[in-house]
Amino acid sequence: MNPRKSVAGLFMLVFRKTLEGIERPQMPADVVIVGGGPAGMACALRLSQLIDRHNASNPDSQLSKENIYVLDKAREIGQHCLSGALLDPRSMRELLPDFEKEAPLNSSVNKEAVYFLTENSKLKFPITPPPLRDHGNYVISLNRFVKWLGSKVEAAGITVFTGFAGSELRFDGERVTGVLTDDKGVDKQNQPKSNFEPGYELQAKIVILAEGTRGSLTKQLINKFDLAKDCNPQTYGQGVKELWEIPSERIAPGEVIYTMGWPLTSREYGGAWIYGGKDNVVSLGFVTGLDYPDPRLDPQRMLQEFKRHPFVAKLLEGGKMIRYGAKSLPYGGWWAIPPVAGNGWMILGDSAGFLNSQRLKGIHLAIKSGMLAAETAFDAMKKDDFSAATLGAFQQRVESSWIKEELWKVRNFHQGFEHGFWRGMFHAGIQQLTGGRGLRNRYPGTAGYTRMKKLVDLPANGGAEAHLIGNAKGDGKLTFDKLTDLYHSGTKHEEDQPAHLVIHDTDICNSRCIREYGSPCQHFCPANVYEMLDDASAPNGKRISLNPSNCVHCKACDIHDPYQIVTWVPPEGGGGPNYDGM
Amino acid sequence: MPEKILVVVEQREGKLNRASWETLVAGQSIAAETGWILGAAVIGSGVASIASEIAGKRVAKVYDLESPALNPYTPDAFSAGLKQFLSSNQPKLVLMPHTYQVRDFIPKLATAMGRTVISDCVGYRKDGEKLLFTRQMFQGKFAADVSFSCDAPWFVTFQNGAFRGDKVEAGASAAPVETVDLQIAAGTVRNQPQEIFKEAKQAVDLTQAEIIVSVGRGIKEQKNIELAKQLAGALGGEIAASRPICDSGWLPMDRQIGSSGQTVAPKLYLALGISGAIQHIVGMKGARAVIAVNKDREAPIFEIADVAVVGNLFDIVPPLIEEVKKAKAGT
Repeated sequence: MNPRKSVAGLFMLVFRKTLEGIERPQMPADVVIVGGGPAGMACALRLSQLIDRHNASNPDSQLSKENIYVLDKAREIGQHCLSGALLDPRSMRELLPDFEKEAPLNSSVNKEAVYFLTENSKLKFPITPPPLRDHGNYVISLNRFVKWLGSKVEAAGITVFTGFAGSELRFDGERVTGVLTDDKGVDKQNQPKSNFEPGYELQAKIVILAEGTRGSLTKQLINKFDLAKDCNPQTYGQGVKELWEIPSERIAPGEVIYTMGWPLTSREYGGAWIYGGKDNVVSLGFVTGLDYPDPRLDPQRMLQEFKRHPFVAKLLEGGKMIRYGAKSLPYGGWWAIPPVAGNGWMILGDSAGFLNSQRLKGIHLAIKSGMLAAETAFDAMKKDDFSAATLGAFQQRVESSWIKEELWKVRNFHQGFEHGFWRGMFHAGIQQLTGGRGLRNRYPGTAGYTRMKKLVDLPANGGAEAHLIGNAKGDGKLTFDKLTDLYHSGTKHEEDQPAHLVIHDTDICNSRCIREYGSPCQHFCPANVYEMLDDASAPNGKRISLNPSNCVHCKACDIHDPYQIVTWVPPEGGGGPNYDGM
Repeated sequence: MPEKILVVVEQREGKLNRASWETLVAGQSIAAETGWILGAAVIGSGVASIASEIAGKRVAKVYDLESPALNPYTPDAFSAGLKQFLSSNQPKLVLMPHTYQVRDFIPKLATAMGRTVISDCVGYRKDGEKLLFTRQMFQGKFAADVSFSCDAPWFVTFQNGAFRGDKVEAGASAAPVETVDLQIAAGTVRNQPQEIFKEAKQAVDLTQAEIIVSVGRGIKEQKNIELAKQLAGALGGEIAASRPICDSGWLPMDRQIGSSGQTVAPKLYLALGISGAIQHIVGMKGARAVIAVNKDREAPIFEIADVAVVGNLFDIVPPLIEEVKKAKAGT
């Protein structure tokens, strides 16, 4: 008998959970950084620099780097790192003043243009709006950049545990006391296999969360201490990216194009980027705000429709899509950032929400936040005090740094767009003139998923969004269906493991969501993880099914499901996309 | 009296496991550094020849631990027998190779004696008077030195390849062999071994198949797999599937074709109800001929098919089976 069928014959999904009653190896640590992206790596490197400098001038009170660890769930450093990407070099120049000589920078931005697209034509903005002026920034592959930064961290003598995810935080009252890494070798039924290896209990004086958008441990922490209670709800965008090789001389290395408008209507938030790189490789992608009203919309489809615009199709014609990826990004801005430090913990980068949604840039802020956290951790190590009294200085460091200066000016930017594109442009204009204030100091925000409308309140054919409804079919040349795109993400997981997309009540999927919203998970997931399969025994003739091994770790399901019943937890470490060159 | 080290070599069905030599090397090396006395033991029924093979190496003494109850192998008998011997022999340190058999009985033995095991070690180190054993952590990225704080015997197992078995030192003359008759009381052995069988690592090597009949979601229900099996049987081919079928447990995972399964290049690949997502195509595009049956005229599998059959596989496969049978009977 198939063990996945229950007695009643219904197909049972088994979800990953931490195994209980298992003796786990323990390891003490000074600092554990969860996540080896730009924020985590910058933090590790800065901390190493500070310790080196301290040790050189204090022979009698040496600090050790031996017990500073970076955990990363990817098999290799940088494999899960995805971005456009443009790098504002400000923070890197502070971290490594000569970085431009050795970092893998693709090209320097030398030309920008912003277009407003209608279905068949384009309107060029006469001047590039100041926030989108990118001269002096670099087109980079974030994957390659982080790989390089990670090699610096390892050369500095800090251990990076690749293939290990942080799966749970450990608490003692008000303190964070450590991190449990993922259990390896657990089968689909949540039973240990012959290669079972229990997760490690890392008992850390400081846990630094740098997990990227909607970090799973960050979520545990925010819920545990109700950290978001005074914040605007975080809002998100879903970025879907393809890398193309195109015939030469269509776009120069360092040429940057932004578009607004089509295929979106004025009811959705979002836009596209096209970055010219070396060797005729072009990065293009579409960011869709995860606050659109029609649950049948699909961000991956959005990119496909965008490519069909004559302006883009002409650019790509005769070219070849070589890579694909997807990532969510936090849009909410300053008012949505939770407290970033407490007893034994700090939160960095996208996990905290350090992203400038007006400039569509977060890497430089992630790096800066990592540096400031490192300075705080260094002070704590010197004082041997890891309580909020010392780590709280991270909060002040952020607030007195250019992170706040930059984010304060755009603190109301995304909220201004909550009622559509045109009102958004109006608010953006006023905010530009008032130093970010606009009509009031703090615009409220609403969580994107609450803006999703039920099917009964929407035209059956999609109305103005008819061209965006449902999943992309793809012509195999210019446009691609999701599975084909997904193939180009290089995603791989151990197949025999429990589902890491934890749905807390699948009855809601099969009974309510399918009727009320038409199962939007099938659409917003960029990797075909969620499927509704025919099943005569299900109340609406279909039941939810998961393909967890397709998951590209974007977290869109955790963010955007209208009932908030999905929790993304890390799968067995080492699995995930391979964003080589992305 | 110096302390004693005992290496328990492993035999299975009267054959010495080669990993035992590595453990013996570890024992010789620890003995040389500590000045402790190295003994070796083999446990089983009628294993004297193994004992004398060991006796040719540099050890002080070899014990041949015998009992009819030790054949065939059971964890109950091995742990009871070794406990009995260790209680009287009283070595300080007991070394074994980290084999499947040892992994099977050593937790029971150590628990029965109220001791602990430092398992799967890759080396050892003497730190002053302290013996430290090295275990890998974080998949080999880190190594931890672990020492015993409990009373003897100390149980240690060594990972395969931790020492070089060919470096085992021969003795100047053969070591004495003492035969010990273990008393394993009736009722001790609660395990009832059945006939030993080898589970084929892969029931089938699809890469060697000349004809593959492969099913996808179009097969609809688990019971319909039978139909495809009949076709495969008639053609003398193997059955395989796309990912959703194996994921549902309708066919074992070793029958999965595609990027997360096997890559095959048979002479004939018959795809039934497979849409042909790229993840599947990469696993079979090397097939010499592809016949695809699918209801959906637009299915991407048709782009690489040599013969494209648009239709319901349930209408097409049963007569096909009959035709194949007829044709085969005719030849």
